[in-house]
Amino acid sequence: MARDMIFAFFLGCLMPNRYPQIEKATKFVMEKLGYEILEMEKAACCPAPGVFRSFNKGDWMVHAARNLCIAEKMDADILTVCNGCFGTLQEVNKHLKEDENLREQVNEKLKLLGDYEFKGTIEVRHMTEVLGWDIGSWGIEDHIVRKVDLRASIHYGCHFLKPTTIRELDSSEKPTIIEDFIEVLGVEAVPFNEQLTCCGAGGGVKAYDGNASMKIFGEKMKNIDEVKPDIILDICPFCHLQFETGQDYLNKNKGCNYDYPVIHIAQLTAYCLGMDAESLGLQYQLMGKTFDFGAKVIKDKEAA
Amino acid sequence: MVKISDTEESSRKYKTDEDFDSQYFKNIERKTNIWSCIQCGTCTASCESGRWTALKTRSIIRRLVLGDLSVLEDPDIWLCTTCYQCYERCPRDVRPTDVIMELRNYATKLGNISPNHRAVVGYLKNFGHAVPINDQIRKQRVELGLEELPPTLTKYKEEGDDKDLKKIEEHLFDIPEKKEDKEEEE
Repeated sequence: MARDMIFAFFLGCLMPNRYPQIEKATKFVMEKLGYEILEMEKAACCPAPGVFRSFNKGDWMVHAARNLCIAEKMDADILTVCNGCFGTLQEVNKHLKEDENLREQVNEKLKLLGDYEFKGTIEVRHMTEVLGWDIGSWGIEDHIVRKVDLRASIHYGCHFLKPTTIRELDSSEKPTIIEDFIEVLGVEAVPFNEQLTCCGAGGGVKAYDGNASMKIFGEKMKNIDEVKPDIILDICPFCHLQFETGQDYLNKNKGCNYDYPVIHIAQLTAYCLGMDAESLGLQYQLMGKTFDFGAKVIKDKEAA
Repeated sequence: MVKISDTEESSRKYKTDEDFDSQYFKNIERKTNIWSCIQCGTCTASCESGRWTALKTRSIIRRLVLGDLSVLEDPDIWLCTTCYQCYERCPRDVRPTDVIMELRNYATKLGNISPNHRAVVGYLKNFGHAVPINDQIRKQRVELGLEELPPTLTKYKEEGDDKDLKKIEEHLFDIPEKKEDKEEEE
């Protein structure tokens, strides 16, 4: 068992290199909640399950194990805010813990990358899972500085919950972990048609065939637009990218006129725990640049 | 009028001893449950990509079971978003997403991989990231009060230490060039 209340923060690629505001918000939230957040020196791409696992599953595992070993040396569980990183690291961690032969093979190849040996001493956690279950709506209540009044379309993404036999978290057909958590922040979850379908970015499809990816995404946006939410709430920087660039693409190429702010659960929670609006970084995003959380504040306390 | 014998079904390249990599096929058999497939079509009906693209998961698994190796050159196997809906719903636990992953691994070994995907491998080997940082984000990070570069392999490379990246480049994700068809060689 790794140490309590300490996380090795796994950054991945898209968060630090495209949406650093999510990184900022995650650190803010976790530290407000009393966790210590450690940097993972020399970490790299998880590597992405859609692309790298498609090319060479063995090498995908070895590269992921290298990242896991960095956290093992720190004696800290991994925290990630990305479904892709979670998919890769949680899955490889589980397989290597359970399958001795596989572990030996991977460790053999790991030696080529340096002083690494997978031991199986840590867990991999998604921030949503920590917020939803470890903290819970009951635990976040005392920390809330601002309560918003928003209607949100929630996008779970795929790899947070599926495959359910490997993740063992929540139902993939009717999950409630995000809905249960955000209510206390003042966010009403607005269900929409085909809510749990993919954003269309994963599996290497966005890189392989952008048009196909946009067809899948276009249907998603049509369904969201029917319920006219204030924001789209996601839990993954890759879905975040798809919702941001995808709305922009549909506006420019398909005659749409979308401007739904895309908010990661770390950004929303950080705002409710008192982070200033500028640090949320909406001014850097393509959609909802001028969206004002503040206008909808109904309860404002002194920062705790 | 189209005769049954003219349809795609009969023109498929069924397996022969010559063009069949039995070892690899055994791997796919071992790692997945292809022989449990009853062709019910739940995978195709659940497929979020297949609704908009030519990907027909049921058909891919059928062709694989029949030893039809044209699936390895079929661009459709690259249209799966790995959403795992078929994996969750398959009544026979065939795990179609895993089957497609195995086929992609096999296709990659033959060099059947798109230029965009090759580029992503290049980014990993050069920067340690599938999506490398750019100047705009460096500035944004500083404005947000974060370090200009996160403490990942990119930063170490910029500081002159690229030992880890070199090892990754040398030992992982060696993607072969596309193999020419047998006929063309002759």
